Amino acid sequence: MRFWVTLEDHSAEVEFHTEGGRLVLDLEGRRVEADFLRLPDGEVYSLLVDGRSYEVGVAPSGDGVDVSYHGAALPVEVRHPLEKLLQSQKHVGGGAAGETVNAPMPGLLVAYRVKVGDHVAAGQSVAVVEAMKMQNELTARRGGVVSELLASEKASVSAGQPLVRLKPEGA
Amino acid sequence: MKPIRRVLIANRGEIAVRVIRTLRELDLTSIAIFSEPDRAALHVLLADEAYPVGPGPSRDSYLNLDRVIETAVRVKADAIHPGYGFFAENAEFARACAAAGIAFIGPAPETIEALGDKLAARAAARAAGVAMVPGSDGPVSSVREAAAVAEKLGWPVLLKAAAGGGGKGMRVVRAASELEAAWSLTRGEAASAFGDDRVYLERYLERPRHVEAQILADSAGRVAFLGERECSVQRRHQKLLEETPSPAITPATRARFAEAAIRIAKQVGYLNAGTVEFILDERGEFFFLEVNTRLQVEHPVTELVTGLDLVAEQIAIAEGGPLSFGDSPPAPRGAAIEARILAEDPSRNFLPSVGRIERVRFPQGPGVRNDAGVYRGFEIPIYYDSLLAKLVVWGEDRERARRRLLRSLDEFVLEGVKQNIGFHRWLAAHPEFAAGRLSTSFLDEHFQPGLLAPSHEAAEVAVLAAALHARDERLRVNLPAEDGGARSAWKWPMRRKSDRRRR
Repeated sequence: MRFWVTLEDHSAEVEFHTEGGRLVLDLEGRRVEADFLRLPDGEVYSLLVDGRSYEVGVAPSGDGVDVSYHGAALPVEVRHPLEKLLQSQKHVGGGAAGETVNAPMPGLLVAYRVKVGDHVAAGQSVAVVEAMKMQNELTARRGGVVSELLASEKASVSAGQPLVRLKPEGA
Repeated sequence: MKPIRRVLIANRGEIAVRVIRTLRELDLTSIAIFSEPDRAALHVLLADEAYPVGPGPSRDSYLNLDRVIETAVRVKADAIHPGYGFFAENAEFARACAAAGIAFIGPAPETIEALGDKLAARAAARAAGVAMVPGSDGPVSSVREAAAVAEKLGWPVLLKAAAGGGGKGMRVVRAASELEAAWSLTRGEAASAFGDDRVYLERYLERPRHVEAQILADSAGRVAFLGERECSVQRRHQKLLEETPSPAITPATRARFAEAAIRIAKQVGYLNAGTVEFILDERGEFFFLEVNTRLQVEHPVTELVTGLDLVAEQIAIAEGGPLSFGDSPPAPRGAAIEARILAEDPSRNFLPSVGRIERVRFPQGPGVRNDAGVYRGFEIPIYYDSLLAKLVVWGEDRERARRRLLRSLDEFVLEGVKQNIGFHRWLAAHPEFAAGRLSTSFLDEHFQPGLLAPSHEAAEVAVLAAALHARDERLRVNLPAEDGGARSAWKWPMRRKSDRRRR
């Protein structure tokens, strides 16, 4: 069995064998002995890698899983090796796309910092959202021209709710 | 004064839990109040009694003065412990308690009023002859006036809400061009958080340390100094990690520091537990900042080195009794560090995170204390602050405490919301932190979100775990193990799994 595993911009192929009842992984040409035991405590596993002990949480998320280890959740995509082939044949469409600034958490939209038609630079503040008693400035990642304000000021917003739509400069 | 038997805790989260623990040990009745989303909160579960005070938003429940007082009267509370935040530094609330015949566990309303107003507090320090940071004489009423004061003080300046505290309602302004945006944000925050939009200016000292004095004052006029706490590691003026003793304070400085704190306390006739905050510059000179008229979030570090229970002392003082140690406070022993475990994402500019605690396991073992307000399955409400737990460690000296902190952070499992355990691990392992070279600019100087990227080992563990998990899933749903036809079926083991979670 083989999988194509991606963590951020790094991908690796993992292949499984069994050798005399023991599970052996081929990780990019490296031989690793692993034991993976689901604990009674939900989606939590004890992972032994060549004898080293790790405790990890594995929770499904999107196209893969979030692996929590040492307090951090690492998003890992797990795909079939065939998909790698398919993707390499696909051409990634060029040209800048627009940008949507979403509420990162549930809270109160205190105010917009921009109006429709404004030119916004990358990193510029577009809205203020208050949550957990703190006011947070939301900034545009790439910038562009404000094409739409999608919520009303003083309204409650939910996590991921789109607040500002930007179209690319000159589009 | 009538003895205190029944204590209502006008708070929630870890501090309500912490107060309940002392009440239980003192064999007093603990009475919790809760908002609708807090019905299943830990403080409700642990208290002897619990009563609803309204819907989620603070102003409709924990900050609903009439409702809280009415509840306290109805359930025959003898005293109210305000914790920190909410009504802890609200003179009107303290007055309402007195009017209802309930003891407020804290200073007199007049003291809260005098010190809660940062401008009046500066006047008190001036009268006590304690040095303070240069600033505007009173509130400034317009951006134009603020700009003029700032020009006189010299940039950068600190814009502060007169009614602010706990790091809320405060912004550094580095240049005139930033003033207008900072002005409206600070005023907005001040108005919404404190209902008072008066703002003043102070000169902003570069790279200062934040060091504070814990004091206890009883009704016989005794004021005890219980050592200092250094709280320099902050982001957006919010403390992240606190320790005692401060690595920057020499015994000679400590003596002067204690004297200044006690002088200010006596100047205002302070009663109960309080904290006098100072900033310490690079030459070791300290300047008065403000007085917090309440128990601080970081009080446990003082408890670990002194062996005192500050909540128990507070209750004794509120009953009119003396301090447990008479005239001689216990000599502090060893060092203690507290890490604030917050529901926020250090890799995304410390954005707050909400959600359900899916899994939690607190560190244990020698010298480790956890003050937490959450448990597995608890849904973090969006209405309150992001403090989930405080990990507090004790060691014979700072280095041993630091290693114990690292060890405890490694043990800490907290999943379901983004939290800053990894950040604290980075911090505690940093050579500058280990050397005790701290300042409030520590994060600006040393921290980048990229530093929290997973180590090579962690990345490999994640890749292996994900692949092993996928294999388990594949075997479990009994699909053909080889490639033929697997692609079309590939998606659905994952989907099945997420369906299961949703149920």
